[in-house]
Amino acid sequence: MKLGRFPATPFAAFIIVLGWLVLSIAGCARQDENAAFSGKGKNILHIFNWNNYIAPKTVRHFEESCKCELSQDYYSDNEEMLAKLAAGATGYDLIVPTGNAVHALIRQGALKPLDKSLLPNLKNINLAYLDTAFDPGNEYSVPYAYTLTLLGFNQEKIQELGLPIDTWAIIFEPKYLEKIKGRVTVLDSQRELMAAALKYLGYSVNDADEEHWKQAADLIVRAKPYWTAFSNASYVRELATGNVWVAHGYSNDMFQAALDAKNTGRKFTIGYSTPREGAVLALDSMVLHRSGTHPDLAHQFINFMLDGKNSAELTNLIGSGNPNMDAMQYIRPEIANNKAIFPDPELLTRLEMLRDLDRKQRRLLSRLWTEIKLR
Amino acid sequence: MIKGSVKQDARENRAAKFLVSGPPLLFLVVFFVAPSLIMVLTSFRFPGEFGGLAPIAAPAGASPGEYGLTAEAYQFFFGDILYARIFLKSFGVAATTTLICLIMAYPLALLIARSKKSFRNLMVLLVVLPFASNFLIRIYAWMIILGPESGLSYFINTVLGAFGIGPVALLFSPFAVLVGMVYVHLPFMVLPLYTNLEKHDSSLLDAAQDLGATRWQRFWRVTWPLSLPGVFSGSALVFIPVLGMFAVPDILGGTGDILIGNLIKDQFLGTRDWPFGSALSIMLTLAVLSIAGMATWFARSTIRQRAES
Repeated sequence: MKLGRFPATPFAAFIIVLGWLVLSIAGCARQDENAAFSGKGKNILHIFNWNNYIAPKTVRHFEESCKCELSQDYYSDNEEMLAKLAAGATGYDLIVPTGNAVHALIRQGALKPLDKSLLPNLKNINLAYLDTAFDPGNEYSVPYAYTLTLLGFNQEKIQELGLPIDTWAIIFEPKYLEKIKGRVTVLDSQRELMAAALKYLGYSVNDADEEHWKQAADLIVRAKPYWTAFSNASYVRELATGNVWVAHGYSNDMFQAALDAKNTGRKFTIGYSTPREGAVLALDSMVLHRSGTHPDLAHQFINFMLDGKNSAELTNLIGSGNPNMDAMQYIRPEIANNKAIFPDPELLTRLEMLRDLDRKQRRLLSRLWTEIKLR
Repeated sequence: MIKGSVKQDARENRAAKFLVSGPPLLFLVVFFVAPSLIMVLTSFRFPGEFGGLAPIAAPAGASPGEYGLTAEAYQFFFGDILYARIFLKSFGVAATTTLICLIMAYPLALLIARSKKSFRNLMVLLVVLPFASNFLIRIYAWMIILGPESGLSYFINTVLGAFGIGPVALLFSPFAVLVGMVYVHLPFMVLPLYTNLEKHDSSLLDAAQDLGATRWQRFWRVTWPLSLPGVFSGSALVFIPVLGMFAVPDILGGTGDILIGNLIKDQFLGTRDWPFGSALSIMLTLAVLSIAGMATWFARSTIRQRAES
């Protein structure tokens, strides 16, 4: 074979230079892509949203009214969204994070303040959901929808076994758990499960006292042998097919499970209720990301979504909680009258929003969580 | 004159070698060495408040101590027996999966290698066929197969019930995790074994038979030693990915099925602690490399021993 001769060292150097080139070209390409993403196509509103968190007909109506296009990317939890933004994702005009993530984004300086003169429909929002701890005065965020973290259950089974449904005791107390061993799932989320345990012990969901955390962890470890799995998504199916009788999960997922059980003609019904000790309320808000290039369109979208009729469409679709007072008249009565979706004012006082932990607390909680799982 | 051309040949040979080994080397540098170095650096930094990393240099007016480099992540790792336990457990699961894969794949690979040529390709195709559908969908399918309402659960529990053993849950258990792991990784064991076994010279077995070897002796003294390279590469292809797997325990596992892969994933998402996640990854890489090193050493010495005897 006749091949060019080059000695070893220059060739190695060549490889390194080539590698460097590849890396830097890749870097440039990414920047270009981002520029194209946010620059071109003047009338595209880029939204970074939860999966299935806007009704298709609402999208259609908005696109007709604004003569623009709505482009959505999705995430399935706040951490995923924050991780993508931390890794450099840009070009989003609007994001719909939960309260604690809104707080993190504000402190990071990642959000643009809102121009409230462009949002006349803000008056429709229930005062209980405005001026929250994570964004006093709603400088950056406008409530979109909320979910409660509560208990879903197989109504017939629970009645048959004579179990209480309005307390966290059912997933923490062995005397109840004995009857439903292997038929219980809890959320695979450090914060949510700790919040439930802390609430049951009478503490705040944001209690970061290590002693209280230990008590909560002990409670979880004691109940763990009775649970079948930590599940963040599959409990919807398991509940709807009758494999699981009690699930710790989100109100809109329970709505889905109840609907699935009904539509597939199961012999049981799925109910859900908020434990009387209180629970986590996750308020998702619309915020403007700093990298967005269509602030006018974004404001237009926010005001559109604050309209009662448009806002109600999401609630009718997925059973999400709705902070919009004007929306109530458009919401189907069986949803509007559901106490687990629209808590009465008395219960509302016992609901709390999760606040972000600092990095040391996060590391400690993660260790506690690993310990819980390994036990 | 002759000497010179030999020298030139050697030089050309070397250039050719570089040209052949260059692209893979480049690949390794770009996709393994560089990311590993980034990870090493990351593991010595402070986590950012919102995920990501704290800046190396403190911005003006910030509190000191949260910037620059630190060995905190490693202190945290070695400061608690917990993490050693989860490593040990993960290695146990990986070793068990590898062993089960080997036991299941060897007869299959042997069967394919010894069957008619026209059938072989079809059978290899069948082994690879599951890859045509998405991995997650196949794992979700196992949720249905192992679920309490499934025929399999019913059958197993009826059999167990006959012996007076109470009903067992198949899904959400260490058993389900093992089933999922074996199912996903089986082809990675079958293929290297098959490519090895297919090359065996059948006259060796004939010779052994002529010399009076029994079936078992022919396998254990001829086929098995010759197939060892296939066994080692198949085992590596199963063992290492299982260590990093988090989806299977997430979906099929019960309340205690956390593996090192889940823990690392958690550091980058839920806990937003990149330095600790990187430290965990590096410890895992080191552990895998040392195991691979030991395995190579062991393989070499056994092969040498056999050659000597």
